[in-house]
Amino acid sequence: MQPYRPDWRQGRVMGWITTTDHKRIGILYIGTSLIFFAAGGILALLMRGQLAQANEHFITKQSYNELFTIHGTTMIFLVVVPIFAGFANFLVPLMIGARDVAFPRLNALSYWFFLFGGVVLYLSFLAKYGAARSGWYAYPPLSANMFSLGHGQDLWILSLHLLSLGSLLGAINFLATIHNMRAPGMSWMRIPLFVWSIEIYSALLLLVLPVLSVGLTLLLLDRQVGTHFFEPQDGGNAILYQHFFWFFGHPEVYIMILPAMGIISEVIPVFSRKPIFGYKAIAFSTVAIGFYSMLVWAHHMFSVGLPNFLNVFFMLSSMVIAVPTGVKIFNWLATTWRGNLIFDTAMLWALGFIAVFTIGGLSGIFLAAFPVDWQVTDTYYVVAHMHYVLFGGSVFGIFAGLYYWWPKIFGRMLGERLGKAHFWLVFLGFNLTFFPQHLLGLLGMPRRVYTYSEHGLWQTYNLISSIGSGVMAIGLLLFVVNVVQTSRKGARAVNDPWLADTLEWFTTSPPPPHNFDRLPYITSARPLRDLRRRLAEASG
Amino acid sequence: MPVRRKIFVLVLALSAALALTAVAYAGNGGFAPATPHSPNARRINDSYVWIAIFTGAIFVLVEGALIWFVVKYRRRGRARTAEGPQIHGATRLELIWTAVPVLILAAIASFVFYKLPGIQDVPSAKAEGGPLVVQVNAHQFYWQFTYPDGQISIDELHAPVNRTVRVDITSQDVDHSWWVPELGGKFDAIPGHMTHTWFKADRAGTYRGRCGEFCGVFHAAMKAVVDVQSQTDYTAWLATANSTLGRGEWEGSCAKCHGLQGHGGFGPNIATNALLTQRQGLEQLIRQGRNEMPPVAHGWSDQQVRALLAYLKQGVYKGTSSGG
Repeated sequence: MQPYRPDWRQGRVMGWITTTDHKRIGILYIGTSLIFFAAGGILALLMRGQLAQANEHFITKQSYNELFTIHGTTMIFLVVVPIFAGFANFLVPLMIGARDVAFPRLNALSYWFFLFGGVVLYLSFLAKYGAARSGWYAYPPLSANMFSLGHGQDLWILSLHLLSLGSLLGAINFLATIHNMRAPGMSWMRIPLFVWSIEIYSALLLLVLPVLSVGLTLLLLDRQVGTHFFEPQDGGNAILYQHFFWFFGHPEVYIMILPAMGIISEVIPVFSRKPIFGYKAIAFSTVAIGFYSMLVWAHHMFSVGLPNFLNVFFMLSSMVIAVPTGVKIFNWLATTWRGNLIFDTAMLWALGFIAVFTIGGLSGIFLAAFPVDWQVTDTYYVVAHMHYVLFGGSVFGIFAGLYYWWPKIFGRMLGERLGKAHFWLVFLGFNLTFFPQHLLGLLGMPRRVYTYSEHGLWQTYNLISSIGSGVMAIGLLLFVVNVVQTSRKGARAVNDPWLADTLEWFTTSPPPPHNFDRLPYITSARPLRDLRRRLAEASG
Repeated sequence: MPVRRKIFVLVLALSAALALTAVAYAGNGGFAPATPHSPNARRINDSYVWIAIFTGAIFVLVEGALIWFVVKYRRRGRARTAEGPQIHGATRLELIWTAVPVLILAAIASFVFYKLPGIQDVPSAKAEGGPLVVQVNAHQFYWQFTYPDGQISIDELHAPVNRTVRVDITSQDVDHSWWVPELGGKFDAIPGHMTHTWFKADRAGTYRGRCGEFCGVFHAAMKAVVDVQSQTDYTAWLATANSTLGRGEWEGSCAKCHGLQGHGGFGPNIATNALLTQRQGLEQLIRQGRNEMPPVAHGWSDQQVRALLAYLKQGVYKGTSSGG
């Protein structure tokens, strides 16, 4: 039988440009984010090349500063946040049994804001004096006119404004969809945990992005209009910007990890052949993390010299977040307990997530204790910590999601052989790259230095780290090969290849434009398993 | 079969980790902050070790359970339809793994708070007649130290051994961060804002410091040295400090960009530029900056400008080039 072939697969460009179908917009988001992921990854490889040896001259100092600024901005604003918007776009309506998102046109607008925000950021390399080079956080006075010449910084602000606008509209859309468009029977305690994570992802974006926009607008005014909000010599306050930025910046970390945790919470039960252990505990821990994430921002500012009571408050609030995070990890482990663990590639990424995210979580406790933070902040220790959370966490979660939902999105199964090689190379390369960076930080290597003159252990660890980044790059190339091969001759996917639990597997792979002809009864959080059982009972 | 491959890779990764550990121990570095030589830094290391004990235990528990479950409950040829027991949760377990982390965090926080005063509060040091106070002024891309009697040094902080030194830190341009790992943690240098830290070095010698906050193109070159000396050496140095000021200023604030001989590097060749000898033009340039040149002399005293000018005339300026 000829598999279902929706008309948008006929290759019409205009169809993609004018689409308001949540699934096509989801694919656009995911595809664009992956291209930016490759771009940001190349920037990272250039940096690791420069740092592979002491006193290397491969990259100039100005270029190096542009590289880490645009690398960070790319990975955060152009990769992790939008790719989750892509997953949410594709999956949320399917998971809750809806026809589309609440505002399909607004949804298309969000995507185009995102794309053009990214284009502006990359074109800023062509500005006089080059792209922005004051870090992804752009602290003034360094980001002020006097110390950041040229328009790279202004274009960076413009790009972030566009991206924030896109994310805000997307967040409104997801919230309206989740609150209003759930199928009959799909109560709050029955929505998939991934949908819970998107609920909190969206709420956080809505609450904190306006604060970033305010900070960036004031910075732009300082640069272009001659105001002095952040310029101390004229009565402004440089620390004020840090509050604006981190009030957004820390919840942003959870915006980038909660959907990955949502993906893990979908994948682990399906490949353990068990229900998720402690659905409510995981759902509520998501809410708790979202709430506390807005009370911890100044732990990025422990070395600023804030009053002691603030340091104490932000230390304790940061430590509190470890509790709901721990709850999730223990519940995932309990889900695998006594299961029938099937090590398909999606599951490998999910288990890999637990293995490495735990390290990132534990190193965070050192950073939360502010006297210890005084030693390790702004060193490679933080670079290691943050990549264990954002690469080992978010990106591992993204790959788990890609291998898990690829059959649903494109109707073909990603190759398992290449998938496993992809996982193991990235897992190995990731740990080789980032574990030694903890040690470099403790040895005293600051972040954001374009070179170092120390030999010995500094050199050894840096070299291991650079080799690891190459291993990772090879692994990621295998993913590209896998995608190309799959699109040509990958096995056709049935509706529900994994025997999963949630509603998106009820429809065809890929789903028709209207998603569902009809919906099964929803009486639990696992409607598809219920359906399989009902069918088994009926047939025998 | 995939399981056997998995174990193989696991063994490989473990042996790599072991090799790494061995290398690290041989070099005695990288598993804790730098060996402390000041009471505040020592107490930070104590806190670090205390946290490492608990997090180490949690690490072993979580990763151990993960590996154990992965091995024990692997598929072993079972059909995909074979389900595990349909357990939806256990309230008691949830309570345990919520409460126990709370207790662990309480233990960590209590210990840190117990150590905190000894890290943060500057000792009154009554027996020494109060702490020695040094002003730290951070600039793009050098450190300027001002001593109680007005002496100034660049990039090299001199201090007597076993004496409490309070450093008052601020910046003249962008954000920097004062950090000498063996003598304590980082404190940001932020324009319009003053932060404090202290140290009491227990051993004479030199301690290396680095700028801890990204501050621009020469961030990597913004290093400091703390030269801890005996009280007599320190007093002797103070007497000669002013005579070496001009050279310190040249090396710290000019030579990083223009080269030690002024022949250019990141900045242009200035060795033959007559501006070096013209007080008015030079002063305006270095106090206010121009294009990519930062205002390196922002906040300098008259005496500092004169010292630099004298050194430029005597040690750097090579006369106008033949062409003009």
